[in-house]
Amino acid sequence: MFKIILLKEMRETIGSAKFVFSFSVCTVLILLAFYVGARNYQVNRAQYEASVRENLRQMEGLTDWGQVESQIFLPPTPLAALISGLSNDVGRSIKVEAVGELISENSRYGEDPIYAVFRFLDLEFVFQVVLSLFAILLAYNAVNGEKEQGTLKLTFANAVPKDRYILAKLSGVFASVVVPMLLPILIGCGILVIMDIPMNGSEWLRLAMIVVAGLLFFMVFLNLSIFVSAKTERSSYSFLILLIAWIFFVLIVPRTSILLAGRAIDVPSIDEIHAQKFRNQSQLWTEDMQKIDAFVPPSNDPEKAFAAFNTFMNTTRETRETKIAEFNQRLNEDRNNRQAVQREWAFGIARFSPATSLSLAVMSLAGTSHAIAQQFLDQARSYQQSFAQFIKSKNNGETGGHMVRVKIGGAPQEKAKPINPYEIPAFHFQSMSVGEYITPALTDIGLLIGFNLMFFAGAVWAFSKFDVR
Amino acid sequence: MTPMLEAKNLTKRYEDQTLALDRVSFSVLPGQIYAMLGGNGAGKTTTINIFLNFINPTDGEALVDGIVTHLQPLAAKTKIAFVSENVMLYPNFTAIENLEYFTKLAGKRYVKKDLESVLSRVGLQKEAFDRKLKGFSKGMRQKCGIAIAILKDAPAIILDEPTSGLDPKAGFEFMKLLMELREEQKAILMSTHDIFRAKENSDVVGIMNQGQLVMQRTQKELEGEDLEKLYVQFMAGYMEPVSA
Repeated sequence: MFKIILLKEMRETIGSAKFVFSFSVCTVLILLAFYVGARNYQVNRAQYEASVRENLRQMEGLTDWGQVESQIFLPPTPLAALISGLSNDVGRSIKVEAVGELISENSRYGEDPIYAVFRFLDLEFVFQVVLSLFAILLAYNAVNGEKEQGTLKLTFANAVPKDRYILAKLSGVFASVVVPMLLPILIGCGILVIMDIPMNGSEWLRLAMIVVAGLLFFMVFLNLSIFVSAKTERSSYSFLILLIAWIFFVLIVPRTSILLAGRAIDVPSIDEIHAQKFRNQSQLWTEDMQKIDAFVPPSNDPEKAFAAFNTFMNTTRETRETKIAEFNQRLNEDRNNRQAVQREWAFGIARFSPATSLSLAVMSLAGTSHAIAQQFLDQARSYQQSFAQFIKSKNNGETGGHMVRVKIGGAPQEKAKPINPYEIPAFHFQSMSVGEYITPALTDIGLLIGFNLMFFAGAVWAFSKFDVR
Repeated sequence: MTPMLEAKNLTKRYEDQTLALDRVSFSVLPGQIYAMLGGNGAGKTTTINIFLNFINPTDGEALVDGIVTHLQPLAAKTKIAFVSENVMLYPNFTAIENLEYFTKLAGKRYVKKDLESVLSRVGLQKEAFDRKLKGFSKGMRQKCGIAIAILKDAPAIILDEPTSGLDPKAGFEFMKLLMELREEQKAILMSTHDIFRAKENSDVVGIMNQGQLVMQRTQKELEGEDLEKLYVQFMAGYMEPVSA
């Protein structure tokens, strides 16, 4: 019975004009997403490598390790090209000095605002917007359409259990879309291989999970469509209701959640934080200026006096910078903590929408969620410590920082030797382990399964009360 | 002989308190055609809907081969084939594909040759077998509907005004087919407005009015009677309902 209805449903779906249209559009978009993603990755990779080289080249003329400031870059990843997530919003480079606050800058959207206007065509867009709309198009009249057509009565003149009928309908439409849809996805994977995109085992596994999450999301809208179709008498009504539901879930809920979370949790703006940091720096600087004015050399010997002054200035600067760093860190931590709470609120509210669950799941799997900015910053901080150690080892135990050292008398100065920037420890961005990518996505994949079960149960319940006459 | 279709004090009151059926009782034996006459809203379709378990009775019961339809609907449905007033099939499937699907749904397996043979038997032109249903006339669809009923090979056949809208020739052929099915010992319950055919071809004729079975006569009892006159009289409420 199940198989008979399933096969009929597949045959009917595949034979319909709306399927041909949906399949053609999806195929083109999926292939484009893979091709454009692969091209973007190649371009980003080339830019990344050029930036790393340029950074070292710029340091080649320097003769004083104290003047060295390095720049580190966030390398592009293949999955970020397929699921862009927040990868284009976060700064892709950080200027690293031995001491001082680290700020990521040069985001893709900052550099090319046109991309921020239209965003990228990626797999998330195809799943979230295109496939969900096609799910509605294919199933909005799954039940009431059969009644309008007159075939439901004849079907249920036979010994057909209603729950099995709904399950077969769902499976039929799902299979008739998913099986052909896997073809462009497989071709897309072939494109990645042909274009030499270096995907490791973890990335292939996560790409597979991204596709699974996308298909679960597609099934949510199929279940919802069948539920609404079994709850309404006319297919025109169900189509209208489903379009409203789509707008609500995909557009309204995620945006509203940010507004609500913003109202619930107050997070100081970055300008306020900068103003506080600036005030603190100004105050410390004023205090230090007073100390400098009050400095009395311990000896009248100019050389000893300058040595003492240099030591005094270094100590003062290091103390000031430590205080600034501590204060900034406190401010940043406080802001980060508030942001984290606000984010949890926003995600909690937004997860009432399956569209949010899909976004969060695929971004976590692709490594392009909000965590990437923090991950980059954390690794930059860790790198800063080894960078500081290195500079100290090269700079007589000093971290540098634009202080001018004056030496009077003594032997004639030798011509300063240029530094070798290739000695500077290289920054290697460490990807997370597979488990670290997958674990945060499991909650949202679980939610997608939950949405499916809820809407399917709703569809079975609604159809049990549906008048098939 | 045990009745194949039986209504026992069948009563249906809708939620808006409309009494659609009021203690209707009748039975149809194997090899018998029972014609239910009555105006619109008389309760004919409600009776059929209860036999098919599309709705449950408020009181009483409908039995198919001794199975109470609202208690064991799936078991009862295996014993009934149904032809509606306006047979609607999948428009993007061919006649053969529609037959194949609905017969499989009924738990039967046929090769294409068998399906073609039944379509020929019901009078569908051969060139229409592999055509999509969307171009079919009502008569052609009715033929497909009766073909599906034949292929289901159920002991009972229920038809809801099957000849309405058919031209006289198609109606005649349709009735001829029913007679053949009666010969095969099928119990046939048919609602109709066609008094002439009801009298000519049925073994028992029942007249329903306002949810009640107001008259029930066998073919023999109707001999020499003017059924049209009786129908008008009973519909006007001149005579008393048939007692259960």
